[in-house]
Amino acid sequence: MQLPEFEYIRPKSLAEGLQALAEHGPDAQIMSGGSDLLINMKFRLDTPKYLVSFNDVAELKAMETLPDGGMQIGAGCTLTQLAGSGELEDKYPALHDAVFSVGSKHVRNAATIGGNICLDTRCWYTNQSEHWRETRDGCFKTDTEECHVIKTAAKCHAINSSDSAPALMVLGATVVLASAKGERELPIVEFYNDDGVDHTVMQPGEFLARVLIPPPTGRSIYAKLAQRDGLDFASGTFAAGIVGSNESPESVCLVMGSVGPAPKVLDKSIEIIMGQGLNDDTIEAAALAARASLGEVTNLFTPSGYKRRLVKALVKDALNELRDKEA
Amino acid sequence: MAKQIITLTVNGDEHELAVAPYQTLLEVLRDELDLIGTKRGCTAGSCGVCTVNGEQGEAVLSCCTLAVDWNGRSVTTVEGVQEGTELHPIQKKFLEHGAVQCGFCTPGLVMSAKALLDVNTSPTERDINEAMAGAICRCTGHIKVKIAIREAAKALREREGAG
Ligand SMILES: Cc1cc2nc3c(=O)[nH]c(=O)nc-3n(C[C@H](O)[C@H](O)[C@H](O)COP(=O)(O)OP(=O)(O)OC[C@H]3O[C@@H](n4cnc5c(N)ncnc54)[C@H](O)[C@@H]3O)c2cc1C
Ligand code: FES
Ligand code: FES
Repeated sequence: MQLPEFEYIRPKSLAEGLQALAEHGPDAQIMSGGSDLLINMKFRLDTPKYLVSFNDVAELKAMETLPDGGMQIGAGCTLTQLAGSGELEDKYPALHDAVFSVGSKHVRNAATIGGNICLDTRCWYTNQSEHWRETRDGCFKTDTEECHVIKTAAKCHAINSSDSAPALMVLGATVVLASAKGERELPIVEFYNDDGVDHTVMQPGEFLARVLIPPPTGRSIYAKLAQRDGLDFASGTFAAGIVGSNESPESVCLVMGSVGPAPKVLDKSIEIIMGQGLNDDTIEAAALAARASLGEVTNLFTPSGYKRRLVKALVKDALNELRDKEA
Repeated sequence: MAKQIITLTVNGDEHELAVAPYQTLLEVLRDELDLIGTKRGCTAGSCGVCTVNGEQGEAVLSCCTLAVDWNGRSVTTVEGVQEGTELHPIQKKFLEHGAVQCGFCTPGLVMSAKALLDVNTSPTERDINEAMAGAICRCTGHIKVKIAIREAAKALREREGAG
């Protein structure tokens, strides 16, 4: 497969790049590592007129410890850089394990954290070659108001497979969106839309410049199930964070990933553990509640029945492990 | 679409090339420089047969890399691995242990293994799995490949010891 034609813009500074994004609006697309975008372009799912790469902007490639003990990670840091950071592994094991689980070493060498957070949603019907797609009608992602996965759906059910997203959500991270007009910072839990086509709140002209993670306050874990350990996108993921003791936690955050267009905060399961602590009974109840909260599940990549069973097992195993983890 | 003149060093040789922004590094290596050792497989990041080594020796998927992004930089392809007239220990061990059947994946496997052994000549099982997970062989299975890599690591350690 070959890439479609485009004009390439490689600004020397963040300001210059934001100016280019402002100027070209929806005609421009951001490329970071290109490990997802270039493939989507080969599939003709993305055909930007202008491709803007911020890879020459050094400030985006820095990871820093903040005075309060938290961390700031530039959008251009590669996943290999993150996976190799001892500080990240010590402070935020869930995030470390999440980024380490992405693709393969080859992919992580190119992939960036910014690109991972903004990763487009994927669907078995659409993320295929043009030729393959011609065998059926279009869908919400292309030119028809239809979803091939859930026929009755009024929106696109493509899946958000970002591994870093659920982990960053349980860690209470915020993202900084920069544009020519200035910056805005928002909690990553408010970053995603539950719609496969318009899957983030980012506006044309905006660029995700960095991620801020508050100082670690408790324990965290990341669990992922995929068809193969290497190379495959997840069939289901789960991130969990707990502050305080197993018996009377001060706060709990549980997030399920790769089951829908947005990572899903498991409110009911959180309520159970906040109310009664982390023990055999609540773990079972939280896992069941997670399964029940899935609602409409797509049979993408794995059958939906399998996905429901998987969710329960994933949540249960990970919470058991989290319970035994030292702070 | 305007082409851009880039300078690309491949296996130590500097080339001045006119490339369009949408040409991948793989296309430039194979179609412009006739270096067809680097294979064209899935062209979508998921097989690893197009692996070359970047400036730090890291594994780079040339099918998902824009050639213009390598302006002023250098890459090593499988054609640049042998040492003078001798094969590199990785290549020797692949041959010795029959880690090759059709051979299509071999350049990518060799370059993925080299990315690992260049920085770590005492890899654990996990290190090998991690380095090789992105490079797939459809014929041999990966057992013989892993034996070859372990043996190559040993040969490299012995050489380090002797040197
Ligand atoms: C074989 C294979 C396996 C993979 N497995 C996984 C996996 O297991 N888990 C996983 O999460 N991903 C996986 N990926 C997808 C991808 O490699 C990663 O998600 C990667 O982190 C994307 O980062 P990137 O820098 O390459 O993004 P790009 O491909 O450059 O961009 C991805 C998207 O984000 C947008 N974007 C990029 N950077 C920014 C920014 N700073 N601000 C705003 N928008 C931006 C782009 O416009 C594009 O839409 C896999 C890819 C391949 C080829
Ligand atoms: S051809 Fe590059 S990964 Fe398959
Ligand atoms: S030897 Fe045939 S694909 Fe590996």
